[in-house]
Amino acid sequence: MAKIRTGEITTHVQRLPAAKAPADGGETPVVVFVHGLLTDSLASYYFTLGPAFAAAGIDVIMYDLRGHGRSDRPATGYRLESFVGDLVGVLDALGETRRVHVVGNSFGGTIATAFAAWHPDRVATVTMIESEPPVAEWTRHMADGLSDAKTQLAREEVIGWISANHGAHTARLSRGASRILATTTLAEEVPAGRVIDDGLDALDGCPVLAIFGDESGLSAQVPELEAKLMSCRTVVLTEQGHSVLVERTEETQDLILRWVREHTLAEAVR
Amino acid sequence: MTTEIDATVAAAVESDITAMLRTMLAEDGLDDAEISRETTFHDDLELESIDLVTLAGSLREHYGDQVNLALFIADLELDEIIALTVGELVDYVAASLHTAGQV
Repeated sequence: MAKIRTGEITTHVQRLPAAKAPADGGETPVVVFVHGLLTDSLASYYFTLGPAFAAAGIDVIMYDLRGHGRSDRPATGYRLESFVGDLVGVLDALGETRRVHVVGNSFGGTIATAFAAWHPDRVATVTMIESEPPVAEWTRHMADGLSDAKTQLAREEVIGWISANHGAHTARLSRGASRILATTTLAEEVPAGRVIDDGLDALDGCPVLAIFGDESGLSAQVPELEAKLMSCRTVVLTEQGHSVLVERTEETQDLILRWVREHTLAEAVR
Repeated sequence: MTTEIDATVAAAVESDITAMLRTMLAEDGLDDAEISRETTFHDDLELESIDLVTLAGSLREHYGDQVNLALFIADLELDEIIALTVGELVDYVAASLHTAGQV
């Protein structure tokens, strides 16, 4: 386990080195996985995509977002730019000079997109799994969702309902989420940070893969993303809600592995 | 003979893993938890998936690269991970050591 100083906090990082060298003698690709808000940690990748990517010959970096997992949980400092700052801090501390393929789930995809917009020279590609780019509309969704979660999850009867309808496991995760919301300014700060322009011009030149479930409202962004982004591939999985990474792990893995391979080859030819 | 050696190895592994878990639980002030082969990580010890990442690191440090908890768990379904017992982990570690020819 590695603890890395990023800004004013300590960030928990796990790496899985590529199990083999590239067949063409080129540079080993590197993927950074970014997890989602509140109930999530790097474990979501450590026990799913991480080992498969390393086995496929990719260097894997996973880390816990501030406030989550084994990273520090400061009382304040939860604007999007702080989350992106931690990602930059992790890559700097690891001495990573390669362009990285950033893969983010839910809020992690928003961080990945912001990172690509603000540090275009460090990014090879972005993959968003059930995410929105950090535009003004996203801040409104987050403000409503987080404020609602903060109020609701603090109520014992709500946790009881979750336990009865979704099981003890989900209830325990919900209690954990409630603790983050109650002891930090995350709910107020996440929607209050820096955004990117609605036209997504900041992502020009960055290849973006966006994966959605058709039953989640987020897949409605597909036409807009395809119209606005210069280099974009969208995939909508049928009969699937927001939990794409957990419930459709293998398909997600295959899509991203193929995506990374294609762009590694393109990079080698260039 | 092989069975006897396996039983000895499994007992040693169980004792190692129990000690690792006690250290982790002590950090949460839960050092009096009962740990046996039937104990589940999730319901009995109330460990979260991030705790299993820490355990994976301890196992690798102790036994070397042939014990790869990430790979073991990546093959399980979510409900199997939630129901995972100390005994199942002990058996996996003992089998990995056996395959690697260390015993």
